[in-house]
Amino acid sequence: MTLKKFLIGTIASFGLAWLLVVILPFIAQRNVKPVEFQEAIDGQTGVFIPKTSGRVADGLAVYQANGCALCHTQVIRPTYAGTELWREDWAGLAADEDRGDTRRESNIFDYKGLDYAPIGQTRAGQDLSNLAVRMHARFPQSPAEAEAWLYRHLYNARSFPELGWSICPPMPFMFEKRPVSGQGRTADAQHGVADFAEGNENFVPGSEARALISYLMSLRHDHKVPASINYSPPAPAAAAPAAAAPAAPAAAAE
Amino acid sequence: MSAISQDLSQEDVQLRSAIDRSLRHPVMFFFTSGAAWLAVSLLLGLLSSIKVHSPEFASGWPFLTYGRVFPAHMSAMVYGWACQAGFGTLIWLMARLSRQECKHVGVILTAGHLWNLAVAVGVVSILAGHGTGKPWLDFPSFVWPGMILSYAAITVWSIVQFRCRPAGHVYISQWFLLGALIWFPWVFLTGNVVVHHFGGSPLMAVAVNAWYRSALVLMYFVPVGVAAAYYLAPKVSGRPVYSYSLGIMGFWTLAVVGPWAGMQKLAGVPIPNSLVSIGAAALVLFAIPAITVAVNILRTAGSRNEVVTNSPSLHFTMAGISGLLILGLLGVVMSLEDALRFTQFSMAGYGYEMLALYGFFSMCMFGAIYFIVPRLTRREWLSRRLIRMHFWFSVYGSAFIVLFAIIGGLFQGIGQEDYLQPWIDAASRTHGYAVGTTIAWVFVLISNFFFFIHLGLMWLRLGRRSAHPTLLHSHHPASPHGPEGDVEEILAGRA
Repeated sequence: MTLKKFLIGTIASFGLAWLLVVILPFIAQRNVKPVEFQEAIDGQTGVFIPKTSGRVADGLAVYQANGCALCHTQVIRPTYAGTELWREDWAGLAADEDRGDTRRESNIFDYKGLDYAPIGQTRAGQDLSNLAVRMHARFPQSPAEAEAWLYRHLYNARSFPELGWSICPPMPFMFEKRPVSGQGRTADAQHGVADFAEGNENFVPGSEARALISYLMSLRHDHKVPASINYSPPAPAAAAPAAAAPAAPAAAAE
Repeated sequence: MSAISQDLSQEDVQLRSAIDRSLRHPVMFFFTSGAAWLAVSLLLGLLSSIKVHSPEFASGWPFLTYGRVFPAHMSAMVYGWACQAGFGTLIWLMARLSRQECKHVGVILTAGHLWNLAVAVGVVSILAGHGTGKPWLDFPSFVWPGMILSYAAITVWSIVQFRCRPAGHVYISQWFLLGALIWFPWVFLTGNVVVHHFGGSPLMAVAVNAWYRSALVLMYFVPVGVAAAYYLAPKVSGRPVYSYSLGIMGFWTLAVVGPWAGMQKLAGVPIPNSLVSIGAAALVLFAIPAITVAVNILRTAGSRNEVVTNSPSLHFTMAGISGLLILGLLGVVMSLEDALRFTQFSMAGYGYEMLALYGFFSMCMFGAIYFIVPRLTRREWLSRRLIRMHFWFSVYGSAFIVLFAIIGGLFQGIGQEDYLQPWIDAASRTHGYAVGTTIAWVFVLISNFFFFIHLGLMWLRLGRRSAHPTLLHSHHPASPHGPEGDVEEILAGRA
């Protein structure tokens, strides 16, 4: 083997793989054509664009810098690759009040606008693709209450008696301690009900915590998809496993 | 070794010691600073492992939160320890095999300091909350240009040395080293530029990130570790390589198969399905180079059992190559579609990475360090007891980390897939394995405590002044290591 043959061989073998699995797919996936709704099948027109609202960019930066993705995934795999589509409220709601079964797998448009999809490493914790959907289902009256629950979970998940088993790392450093004055809770208009008291101190979320919770409350990927990219089984078949699933207590589900 | 060295002419001996002298400072710098980063990484790894089962442990400080400690641990392991141990071994092996002295010590040392500075900035940034959250690319994106520049300044001389080598046979280790020299910058640049700076394709960025991790292992750590093993096994045992054509075959199968693997980690994620299938197929096929290399090296040195039991270098090399064999077979199991759904989002992936980084690569590097350092410092290792402690604690520690992570990960995955059960069922399955992993990390930490002390003493040139290498077993009646102080007599006799 001469050096010339060696160089040609190594560069060609690596370069081919490099082009075909890294560079070309990356470029191709950059410009994915939007999928349109078809009036005849979907009953509506327009282009499928999942909407998000909230502080996605800076909240996601906090999410990434603090390693949330090490334990929390954000992907609902198709059923050939995993079963999370059937978990009661991970992929959407099995029984939404208005829309019925809203569960669906993730698609490429769910991550549009991000630079790096927070797919995640492991599932030591729950999948967060539809965290906002779960939170709204749990606190249907008031989104502020849902946020307050998340803040407390962020501060220390084990402060909820029913989550004593959780291994979610506490993040007390994202909160400011303030002495309790007046009637206990500070009526801080800016933070609403986000702060909570423990002993003689109030804990007020800092800017990182607020960005993070705003981002978490934006996590909703149960929008209706065009029939052409809807791979969910037809409605009756989908209802069967949902009916078989025991109604998990809300505490254990979170 | 003795069988070969007796035939060598005086010139050969002088050339070798001249090469060793010229490389003494840079190679010792990479080994010692790499070991220091290994210490940092092990402490962070132990801390993060404790936090997996006891989340409130040291949770008050932001820089010690799990989500920062874990990436800092991995980054220190990969870039602080493994890359630097690789650099030291690579430049020494290439100089020795190309029979060229190193003429650019100053540049290499400067670049080595730059690399360490970059790693330090990166690790501190992660702990300070500026990590990117992209596994193995956690350093802030301004760090990588410094790393690739210092890499170029460290290794370009090895390519020059290869070009200027005396005409003749090219040894198999050199092909593996040259391959690593070409692939590392290619992989490193692709990973960093595409994932950090291209943008616009969030899912492919994740896929390229997964490919990057796989390629860094298969196209840099594997060839460097294998090159060291191909050097040490025949050298120490005094036997020629069992099958040279098997060696060449191992190289080319690795070159052809390795770069396709990695994206199987993203099964079910909305990227083109073919990328996932190709990745899985490539990782299955990686068993071929892993098996050919392992069989070849085990057959080369294994035929001389008494040498393996005596030599610290071969002890570690054989353990590392066994790790490579397991890595290849584990890749086959973990790439199967039915296994992937259970292991994809479980702690099994960590077990696989630790097997690659510690069970295979670090063990090979320890083998190389036990061989190279006495030649650089002209002192022998002080104590075979320290070496034995290092070896056995490392073997058991890393084996348990891998076993706990993979078995625990499998049960965790089974719990995750059982969608009829509440989530607490899946979440609580790993507790025992996480505690076990922490205990295994304590083993690895103890193991390397002995190594750090030993290497530190050698670095201070406090090693034994003897012509007899430190063997793990000795039949010398008076002293376990043979007579003291004979190095000076031999050198005086030559002068």
